[in-house]
Amino acid sequence: MNFWEYLGSRHQQLLADVYQHASAVFQCMVVATVLGVVLGVVTYRSGWAGNLATTTTATLLTIPSLAMIGLLVPVVGLGVPPTVIALILYGLLPIVRNSIVGLRGVDPSLVDAATGIGMSRLARLLRVELPLAWPPILTGIRVSTQMLMGIAAIAAYASGPGLGNEIFRGIASLGSKNALNQVLAGTLGIIVLALLFDAVYVLIGRLTIPRGIRV
Amino acid sequence: MRAPESGRGGASGLGVEAGREAAIDEGLAVADAMSRAAGLGWRKLTFLPAVLVVGLLCTWLWFRHADLDPLSENALSNGQVWKALRQHIELTVISTFFVLVIAIPLGILLTRGAFRRAAPVAMTFANMGQATPAIGLLALLVIWLGIGRKAALIGIIAYAVLPVLSNTIAGLKANDPTLLEAARGIGMSPLGVLGRVELPLAVPLILAGVRTALVLNVGTATLATFGGGGGLGVLITTGITNQRMPVLVLGSILTVALALLVDWLASLAELLLSPRGLETGSG
Amino acid sequence: MSETSGTPSEQPRTVGDRSAERAATGATIRLESLTKRYPGSSDPAVDSVDMEINAGELVVLVGPSGCGKSTTLKMINRLIEPTGGRIRIGGEDVTHMDPVKLRRKIGYAIQSSGLFPHMTVAQNIGLVPKMIGWPKARIAARIEEMLDLVGLDAGEFRGRYPRQLSGGQQQRVGVARALAADPPVLLMDEPFGAVDPITRDHLQDELIRLQHELHKTIVFVTHDFDEAIKLGDRIAVLRERSHIAQFDTPEAILTNPADDFVSGFVGAGAALKRLNLTRVRDVEITDYPTVTVDDSLQEIVSRVRSSGTNEILLLDRQGRPYKWLRRGDLMRARGSLARAGTPVHDTVTRDGTLRDALEAVLIDNAGRVVVTGRRGEYTGVVDMATLMNSVQEMLEADRLDAMEHQHDLEGAAGGEGEA
Repeated sequence: MNFWEYLGSRHQQLLADVYQHASAVFQCMVVATVLGVVLGVVTYRSGWAGNLATTTTATLLTIPSLAMIGLLVPVVGLGVPPTVIALILYGLLPIVRNSIVGLRGVDPSLVDAATGIGMSRLARLLRVELPLAWPPILTGIRVSTQMLMGIAAIAAYASGPGLGNEIFRGIASLGSKNALNQVLAGTLGIIVLALLFDAVYVLIGRLTIPRGIRV
Repeated sequence: MRAPESGRGGASGLGVEAGREAAIDEGLAVADAMSRAAGLGWRKLTFLPAVLVVGLLCTWLWFRHADLDPLSENALSNGQVWKALRQHIELTVISTFFVLVIAIPLGILLTRGAFRRAAPVAMTFANMGQATPAIGLLALLVIWLGIGRKAALIGIIAYAVLPVLSNTIAGLKANDPTLLEAARGIGMSPLGVLGRVELPLAVPLILAGVRTALVLNVGTATLATFGGGGGLGVLITTGITNQRMPVLVLGSILTVALALLVDWLASLAELLLSPRGLETGSG
Repeated sequence: MSETSGTPSEQPRTVGDRSAERAATGATIRLESLTKRYPGSSDPAVDSVDMEINAGELVVLVGPSGCGKSTTLKMINRLIEPTGGRIRIGGEDVTHMDPVKLRRKIGYAIQSSGLFPHMTVAQNIGLVPKMIGWPKARIAARIEEMLDLVGLDAGEFRGRYPRQLSGGQQQRVGVARALAADPPVLLMDEPFGAVDPITRDHLQDELIRLQHELHKTIVFVTHDFDEAIKLGDRIAVLRERSHIAQFDTPEAILTNPADDFVSGFVGAGAALKRLNLTRVRDVEITDYPTVTVDDSLQEIVSRVRSSGTNEILLLDRQGRPYKWLRRGDLMRARGSLARAGTPVHDTVTRDGTLRDALEAVLIDNAGRVVVTGRRGEYTGVVDMATLMNSVQEMLEADRLDAMEHQHDLEGAAGGEGEA
């Protein structure tokens, strides 16, 4: 059975895996984005809090995902819970870091001008600081998503959902005829998903970044 | 008053380096500001090893009193833990060595005259590569090359070459063009410009690349177990498949500790090896 | 152009609070022992400043960098909270009112414009009116009006982003934004510090024109003394901790600096700088024999003879200076004036400064310059001798004024503290 025949015969299973993979990553990204931006907004003003958030997230990022999942399994069991927690945690990091960097990178004279023309703190944040910090935040979201695509695959080892299952089925049946097809289907599926997500982010960027600050 | 506050914020990552400078230099005016940064830097530097030592000690104490069934005993006896750890370190070190040997010269090459046009292609390729899941790459290599350490090593290396390469290219490109012009202007040869201006300026960047590679490789090496490459991943997978939490936890904790330790060592190297007067590059 | 853009009242729409706004043009500002002390430093950054700024006055705070002039300015709209003293605007104590509300009533323009790069020119200008709840139609009309006021074409610039504008244009939009909600008070923090000298000169002229129309109370911070002289109705020269070294008219500061600090700051060339403060219309303009292009050559020749001068000025049909004709030119003219004489290159208007006039006189080979009226028509001539006489008289008058002023101050010093 060649690769195309394999895709044809297993398309239902594969589509279900693709859907689960995308949906897990997407949902975790939404949560991670909200949490990450909020964390960034809360901490960027204070030197130590911002640095603490950045250092903590950077440290967490160095932890191998398999080890993170390994630590989560004894606490929350196998399946969806460790996957979701790990995905959100890893997804958080680039967003928090980029939010802080982006918000701190807003030209202080603009913040000054915003205050000077009578904007309240909330208005300043929503209408000046966040819009100006949005491009780096969006970059953070892109980076996070790509990373989560791969991590979600690994989480399949702890019975998580998605295309990782396809890869691990292949690994489990190494030597059999279908091993290559399974691994290839899983890997290519994840690559395609990642590129699709990236294209969507480029589109979002086009739509949401004002022309005045687009590079 | 206002401005310095916002200016300082993002620079804390550099505090470490700045502190180092103060320890060496006899700067007068700056010394005061820097000594504070130094305190912070050294506290940060000693904090992590302390946490690691405490964490590992706790794990060890917990383990001595843990009830181990035969299956767990079996998985952990005969120095298997040490073997896994040693394998993991070997995988990391060897792969990092190759990553650097491949990626940095390639990065330099791709920023030279004739090859410069190939750089965007390489960058695009690198970005595409980011989208490839490490586990899928490793599995494909295992199918192609057969089970064993070789496939695992190649997978780890392939996975880390691209980010380090794109970092190197980006960094060399970020060098101030007026500096390079000045170097050419005073009559340096292309090789002189590279060796005496560009590379020294890019040292922090290369060190950052080393750190990236190390951290990535420690992580990817945990997956080597799926291709029969050994490493601490063995403990984790054994723990998960056999539902033996002590094995799983021990494997995970050791992996986390190793990753943090490697990152810490790399940050130490960045601190010690960065040329003086260059405060960019970490962060 | 200025007739249509001056005040909003010409527009029939939205008559509501119009009268109140018109009355709001300009408000007094009083600083009463205003102090800023930063925690952890022994000396205050601004030490007990007292200042009274009249409604409709343009006051420049000038001083070396770090003297606290910017801090003083930012305390007026409480971007920096004072640690002591009071601020009164239009008689109302604003020291403790809601700073956000306060700032919406005070225009604020800063260096390098402070325009928000993610908003268009129109969005930037409409920001404050929108925040204080103007209806949409009124905001749109106001944006147009403000762009017109600062000399930018609304149709062309409304939809642009700040980075699509030159530095000078950005700065104009910055001023337009500051004035959009028609605040009685305008604070300007080195607004022209980041533009090239030629543009700066232009923007300064523009500000003078605006202020002529609007009569806002403007507090302007700069470290450039020449800018201060050019713009200020009064100048406050500040030394460290915002201590007022001298607060007076530009003329008085130039001719009679209060102490060594001020004279050091005024710098060399005070007499030359003084020339910037006097307009051509203030000096004696001599009349000169003229003929027009419609006069026959015969008439022209006889006119030159009767005038007793060597030269005569030829005007075109609109009465604008056209050529200088010498006796010799006429001899060689042979019936046609087409190629005779030297064209008039440089002229100054009656509103030009004496410095401009001096410049033109120095360049002219006969040492004189034609003065023109509003539409470029001939009104007279200024020459070197007139200029020198006028400057002498002017400086003498300044000296007398200054001495009188000194007496007044000494008299007042007994009763009140130094202001």
